[in-house]
Amino acid sequence: MKNALIASAALLALSPLAAKAEEKTLTISVYAFAQDDFKTIVYDPFEAKCGCKLVVETGNSVERLAKMEANKASPVIDMAVVSMADALSASRKDLIDKIDTSKLSNFGKLYDLAKDPNGDGMSVGYTFYATSIAYRSDKMKIESWADLLKPEYVGHVAFPNVTTNQGPPALFMLGQALGSDHPDLKAPIEALGEKKDEIVTFYEKSSQLVQLMQQEEIWAAPIGRFSWAGFTKLDVPVAWATPKEGQTGGMNVMVVTKGSQNRDLALQFMDFWLSTEIQTKLAEKLVDSPANKEVKLSEEAANNLTYGEETAKSLKLIPSAAALDNRAAWLKEWNEKVGQ
Amino acid sequence: MFQNRAEALALALPAAVFAALVFLLPVVVLLSEGFRIDGSWTLSAYTGFFSESLNRTVFLRTFRLGLEVTAVSAVIGYAAAFAIVNLPPKGKGRVIGLVTLPLMISPVARTYAWIVILGRTGIVNQAIQGLGLSDGPLRLLFTETAVFIGLLQLFLPLMILSLISALENMPKDAIPAARVLGANWFQVFWKVILPVTREGLVVGGTLVFTGSLTAYITPAVLGGSKVLMLETLLYQQVSVANNFVSASVIAFMLIVMSFAANILLKRLATARNKR
Repeated sequence: MKNALIASAALLALSPLAAKAEEKTLTISVYAFAQDDFKTIVYDPFEAKCGCKLVVETGNSVERLAKMEANKASPVIDMAVVSMADALSASRKDLIDKIDTSKLSNFGKLYDLAKDPNGDGMSVGYTFYATSIAYRSDKMKIESWADLLKPEYVGHVAFPNVTTNQGPPALFMLGQALGSDHPDLKAPIEALGEKKDEIVTFYEKSSQLVQLMQQEEIWAAPIGRFSWAGFTKLDVPVAWATPKEGQTGGMNVMVVTKGSQNRDLALQFMDFWLSTEIQTKLAEKLVDSPANKEVKLSEEAANNLTYGEETAKSLKLIPSAAALDNRAAWLKEWNEKVGQ
Repeated sequence: MFQNRAEALALALPAAVFAALVFLLPVVVLLSEGFRIDGSWTLSAYTGFFSESLNRTVFLRTFRLGLEVTAVSAVIGYAAAFAIVNLPPKGKGRVIGLVTLPLMISPVARTYAWIVILGRTGIVNQAIQGLGLSDGPLRLLFTETAVFIGLLQLFLPLMILSLISALENMPKDAIPAARVLGANWFQVFWKVILPVTREGLVVGGTLVFTGSLTAYITPAVLGGSKVLMLETLLYQQVSVANNFVSASVIAFMLIVMSFAANILLKRLATARNKR
């Protein structure tokens, strides 16, 4: 009797699990940013549509790539969003697969630069951003990236650390302003090193910049357009620079894990995310700039995002291969000239 | 209590196995990364780490700041603890409550408050300019001074509390006796107060020193990448460079430094006790 009771209790306990196991599960790996908005705009509607369960893993791209590499033999993640350079790195490590774009009904609606950013067919861009300089328009005038190093300004500048996503692009543009476009970034790192004591900080989290700007600790900082919204709410005048060398930036892309058991579901999810409806909603919430060119934005959203074909075409991005092949050298150079 | 040792060991076994599996084993695996390169045992990760001047700078800075914070908190701690011990009981309870209060607030919140206080338009700079000590605002944030102040504020309560309990065990008439016998205040401290409170100093010193070595939020927020400490360097190695070998080297050094500080301070205490 006792045994029978235990057995039936065990069966009862197992039954919800059994029901769950039949449901399809898609595991995605994304940036930890704006997850509340992603849940209401992307994840929940997709779950309702596909009748599947979405498991979301978050973290910065290095952590998530390391995890993908560790689980290479039996992948846990089905699809991931990473930076362009990390997508190339994952491709070189044989962690991702070619994307069958014929299964993405929204592929044709993407800006050209988002269609195949690394030219290897392994990734599709879903958002890109401009990187330029946010500055106090009442205190200074920024017309060139080199203006940041002017003696009257440099003591009020926060520059992104080379270890951040904004660091290398900002250095790349500073190099162009100083007359060097070599991807080793030696010239701009050296120029920055000479002024390192005057520069307020080499920031690692852009979230702290708004506070520093508010309390007049800094007047200018190179930032990604995605962190711009916070500055527009300050009670000090902050402007977005359009330096004569142009703006730089970056692109985030979607990749499909090699050996994923849920390839079709992953593609469905990507297609859903790239659709005009979802891209518009994410943009209106100022979460991600759209890569879908059919997206029409309100003026407010457009002002706060990286928007439009003209902008997309004007961005000077560091080629992924140049970034990947020089990363270690940048860090070494930076640690020698700036880091100490 | 137990009829035999076996029974006692059997009872301790589940906890011991649990701790070994989920704590000791991962720590050993993680730390051994620093000694194993391509499958063979070597110290090359350590020599490699110290061959880079940035790493040497960061190591020395962490060690020096730890010592400075410990020394200054001991000086302030003695003065504060001495004053608190001599308060009437009601006042003493209230003041001890105030000393413990910061320990109940998250270090993140406390550290962010320093960004406002130490900023160019913050209260410190306003006071300095108001007193005419400087024409323009001084740069305090993102300097070693800021990290020092942040760490001192973070760990000073631990030193004060350790010294209060040590001073309370000191006979009340020891100091008047020493004074009557002609000792000056320096001699009173060195020959009377210090010997009877050294246990408290060891406990407080260990807490403050190891706390300063291993604090992350304070150096990250108040120092940033301009004032790298071992902890912030460790974070950078793991989350940016994905260099677990280097991170393991740093973690091992932090553990060794913490244990060494504790052993050294204990030695000092017992050496003086024997005399």
